[in-house]
Amino acid sequence: MTTNRRRVAVVGAIAALSVGALAACGGAGGSGGSSSSAAKGTLYYLTQTSAKPEHLDPQRVYIGRDITNLSRLVYRQLVTFPDSADKTAGVTPVPDLATNTGTSSNGAKTWQFTLKDGVKWQDGKAITCDDLKYGASRVFAQSVIPGGPNYLVAYLNIPTNKDGSSIYAGPYDKSAANQAGQAAFDKAVTCNGNTITYDFKKPWPDFPLAIAALHMMDPYRQDKDQGDKSNYSVFSDGPYELQGTWNQNTGGTFVRNPNYDAATDSTTVRKALPNKIVFQVTSDAETIADRLIADTGNDKNAVTDRSVPSSRFSQLNSDSVKSRLTSVSSPYIDYLQMNMKRLSNPLVRQALYEATSPQAWIDAGGGSKAYLPAHSIVNPVVHGYQPNPAFNAPLSGDAAKAKQLLQQAGVKTPYPINFMYEKTTTADKQAAALKSSWEQAGFKVTLTGIDADNYYSTIQKPSNNGDLYWAGWGADWPSAITVTPPLFDGRINLTKTSSQNDYGQYNSPAFNKLVDEAQNASTLDAQTTALQKADAQLGKDYAYVPLENQVFNLLHGSNVTNYLQTPSSNGYPDLGGINVK
Amino acid sequence: MSTEQSRSYLTVRDLVVHFPTSDGVVKATDGLSYEVSRGKTLGIVGESGSGKSVSSSAILGLHRGTNAQVSGEILLDGVDLLTISDEEMRRKRGKDVAMIFQDPLSAMHPYYSVGNQIAEAYRVHNNVSRRAARARAIEMLDRVGIPQPSRRVDDYPHQFSGGMRQRAMIAMSLINDPGLLIADEPTTALDVTVQAQILDLLQDLQREFNSAIIIITHDLGVVAEMADDVLVMYGGRAVEYGPTAEILVRPEMPYTWGLLSSVPDVTGDVDAKLIPIPGNPPSLLHPPSGCAFHPRCTHRDKVPGNLCFTEMPELLPVADGRNHTKRCHLANPDEVYAVEVLPAIAPDLAEEQR
Amino acid sequence: MFAYIVRRAVIGVALLIVMSLVTFILFFSGAFDPARNACGKVCSPAQIEQTSKALGYDKPILTQWGSFLAGIVVGRDYPLDKKVREENPDLVTHCAAPCLGYSMVNTDTVNNVLKSAIPISVSIALVAFVFWIIGGLLFGIIAAMTKGSFLDRGIVGLSLIFYAFPTFVVGSLLLRFVAIKWQIFALPVYVPLTQSPGLWFTNLILPAVTLALFYMAAYARMSRAFIIEASTEDYVRTAKAKGVKKVPLMFKHTLRAALTPLVTMAGLDLAILLGGAIITEDVFGFHGLGLLAVTSNSRQDLPTIVGIVLLLSTFVIIANIVVDILYAYIDPRVRLD
Repeated sequence: MTTNRRRVAVVGAIAALSVGALAACGGAGGSGGSSSSAAKGTLYYLTQTSAKPEHLDPQRVYIGRDITNLSRLVYRQLVTFPDSADKTAGVTPVPDLATNTGTSSNGAKTWQFTLKDGVKWQDGKAITCDDLKYGASRVFAQSVIPGGPNYLVAYLNIPTNKDGSSIYAGPYDKSAANQAGQAAFDKAVTCNGNTITYDFKKPWPDFPLAIAALHMMDPYRQDKDQGDKSNYSVFSDGPYELQGTWNQNTGGTFVRNPNYDAATDSTTVRKALPNKIVFQVTSDAETIADRLIADTGNDKNAVTDRSVPSSRFSQLNSDSVKSRLTSVSSPYIDYLQMNMKRLSNPLVRQALYEATSPQAWIDAGGGSKAYLPAHSIVNPVVHGYQPNPAFNAPLSGDAAKAKQLLQQAGVKTPYPINFMYEKTTTADKQAAALKSSWEQAGFKVTLTGIDADNYYSTIQKPSNNGDLYWAGWGADWPSAITVTPPLFDGRINLTKTSSQNDYGQYNSPAFNKLVDEAQNASTLDAQTTALQKADAQLGKDYAYVPLENQVFNLLHGSNVTNYLQTPSSNGYPDLGGINVK
Repeated sequence: MSTEQSRSYLTVRDLVVHFPTSDGVVKATDGLSYEVSRGKTLGIVGESGSGKSVSSSAILGLHRGTNAQVSGEILLDGVDLLTISDEEMRRKRGKDVAMIFQDPLSAMHPYYSVGNQIAEAYRVHNNVSRRAARARAIEMLDRVGIPQPSRRVDDYPHQFSGGMRQRAMIAMSLINDPGLLIADEPTTALDVTVQAQILDLLQDLQREFNSAIIIITHDLGVVAEMADDVLVMYGGRAVEYGPTAEILVRPEMPYTWGLLSSVPDVTGDVDAKLIPIPGNPPSLLHPPSGCAFHPRCTHRDKVPGNLCFTEMPELLPVADGRNHTKRCHLANPDEVYAVEVLPAIAPDLAEEQR
Repeated sequence: MFAYIVRRAVIGVALLIVMSLVTFILFFSGAFDPARNACGKVCSPAQIEQTSKALGYDKPILTQWGSFLAGIVVGRDYPLDKKVREENPDLVTHCAAPCLGYSMVNTDTVNNVLKSAIPISVSIALVAFVFWIIGGLLFGIIAAMTKGSFLDRGIVGLSLIFYAFPTFVVGSLLLRFVAIKWQIFALPVYVPLTQSPGLWFTNLILPAVTLALFYMAAYARMSRAFIIEASTEDYVRTAKAKGVKKVPLMFKHTLRAALTPLVTMAGLDLAILLGGAIITEDVFGFHGLGLLAVTSNSRQDLPTIVGIVLLLSTFVIIANIVVDILYAYIDPRVRLD
């Protein structure tokens, strides 16, 4: 379910690439104009009901938009990404709570960070190493606070049970059975004054990227922990604090945190300009677009994470609206995954790839305003991105070559395939466009549109009768290790009852070996190289077909200044520097 | 016809009630004239659809506000009801003219108590308190013979028996002491035993209140008991009109004969035949040519030429100047009745007359 | 009458118990795994199993259902694991009877989740109800009294149009033009009645109008038809023959009879709307029961779904009983038999 692009945004660093056609001010760019840095009034952040934040707990939050907003306002991290529009600088960690970006030893298996002096919680108490350690321990409490990123469970040097689960059950379980687990955790995460040391069982060269992109390693105050009840609690160590409580249906208001000391922070991370930031959960993307197009009242001070729906594209042409529109590429790649069990003939899979016209899909879904073409399942801003060498067919497909491949495969034509996709009005049109490109090449296509509520649960069933599935994904942090392994490593995905994220039941020893190589690499470069090879292997096997990279078309109000969408804000408005008139 | 009193209380002259419909004009009542004096009773007789109810609704002005076309004159105590305003008409309803309907169950509102409905009739025309109106209602219920009226006044119509409901209706209609009471088939929906009681009650009250009564019925038995005058209607027109004794003893119109023939006479002898009138009542939309009754008349051949088919007979006094009018081409109705009709329907009477 | 109500209530409770079981069974017969959903984006099978256990989804359906019913009677404490509760008193959430369960998705008891949604749906439904009853009856009466006139035809025609118009279109148009473009009303946001009755009402106008227009159209047409039918009743003629004036004739005699079938319909329509007006709530972003039902379904939040199903059924059952009582109040033939 978490790959549903409408519901779960992806964490991690995706650059805000300029989409020239639409972007009036170009690129990841701000609204230009005066970069006044004086503290000003109230900024409004609009989002829609179906995308309301599900967690504000640092160890549970897993949505790109929420992660970046919390980073900029209330949850400081050991290291974080600066609010830079530069596609390299924007995804390169800088120190935040820590004095530097971490030192690794023992082949990237051991990482050490030291807390800055003078960093405080909102109640004025100093942030301690124990707070960091307690935060990390909560990642293991899957049975009390499920749902967050749990990489630490696989990495931290703690023994596992027979079924692969960790022997440590988190800080809430004080039973005798968990004492061994607690001891192992205490050994794996150690405090020495203000210095914390993490001991991993395998190399984690991209650890700083991971903890800059996620809040899983944030400090947490044990005395404020109420488990699941703390899901919408915010105990801040950033420039703002939550006023009153968060209402998950309507939002909340952030005001200045008097105990925040800007001297311990960097203005390249948090300028903290508006005096107040109000999050409003309102009806839907159409209404938000209408409000921002109208640009009246408080909406003049508003930004949003909701891309303008294609039904409102025609209203974006007036100068007053155009100047407030920014178009950037999103963290998502949409792709087609082939069912390896049903399409077992590699030539058929290759023919299907050759026959696919991503251009037809893009055109049916709103054209270049809505999508950029993609050449890999890995987003272009992820470290070590390169176009997948297997996917070099023309964007509109090569029907002739596909026909020839089918002939070579010796299968009866027209070859029947069943395409499953998440049903929307747009997706219906897009699927029909693909169908015609496939049928030109000698396939006989059945389209199976499934409503959003049931889509992923259907295609995760190993017994489903789809040959090809639509899916979308984005990196958790700017490394392909959060893309291809979670999607294609059959060892972690395939069970008797579910294919999980590996809908096509791809399970290749060659690919798995490269994943192991990447996971055991002690340097970022070695890891990147292994992952590039892994993606090439997927291409060779035609395990997937990249379709496109969605474009965010975000409007903001006319009083908003220093408007910025950056790679570190996952393409969403970067609250690190945004101000209001 | 009652001529004893100086002038009649109600005079209807040339009353026409037409309903335009998409299929044409329905001539429910055409050229109807009659009169009733206070203390006297007029019986209007006819089959359903003969226009007898429509003409009396016209007296109450119940067609106002609909698309009915009403013309002629309805003089009530000298005032033409067709020319007065809606409000003036409303003030007369229930006060000067009251009506009793056929089925007292459906004619009374199921959601209001009997007393409430009777009191309402009083309060509409008299500026009195609720309490006074209620006392008056109880008094009227008592007068019409409802036992324990002060208790039954709060009962709902469905808690009354049929006879009691009709008594209550009578109480409601007489509560304002109207000069004219129209009773539309007042006993049709009632048990036979109750019918007589209701008719007795009406007669008693008529004596007490000195009202003029129009009783609409298809039952000549009711007419015989109640009415001073009889008006026989057919196809929206009067076909025979005269004092009850005269009409019942010496009817001159074959339709009236037909009505008489279809009345079972429990006291009569066993040789008497029930002879139903053949055929169906005429269409008011497309009435028959000539005499409206000719398609059903067994005596039409006795009229020379095709007169019955081509020409509608006028409502004319009978031959020997009796107080009696009829609408028929027959030259010798007395003779035909005595020879052909009476022996069949009442052999004993025929014997007597012979 | 009392015995009758008791009997109906008992049947109602039995019905609710059956419905809760049916909901459980339907939910678990679905294609998805709620634990997989709750677990997170990348989860190992062991972690999914752990989540499943924590949520109690590993137990047989009947056991889960049994605990649910027990919770309604005596209440429950969360997390389910007693050991965790004893060791971490801070984590405990007590859910007092009648406890409808704990929603992991909303990280709160279902009771609290419903408690925050009910006033919103009830507010929209009640204000809309007042609008549509007043409007529907008013237009119905006017149309019936001027039957055949241009006014009548205009009302009938307009009500046909509004009846046919999809609610979301009406709502979106109102929102887009009245609130955003022309700014006649501020963008509706739910304000509790207790906080400000004035703001409560003004914020409810647009959603309530959106919802009411459809029903107003339906009720105008129905009441017109019922009034015209009732006005041909013998007892209305009797009242007219008594000299009753036009206005009391309409309100005391005709309308009283015409109202009876309307009361039944209005009662049931209101009961269903109290359970949430999905489209209206969605368009205006009001977090009532309708929107909650939709999101709970898409987020596979079984406890909330069960809670909503039971609440809605309770509304309908109560409404049926109330309508019966009203019926008896209106019609003495029912009351006194």
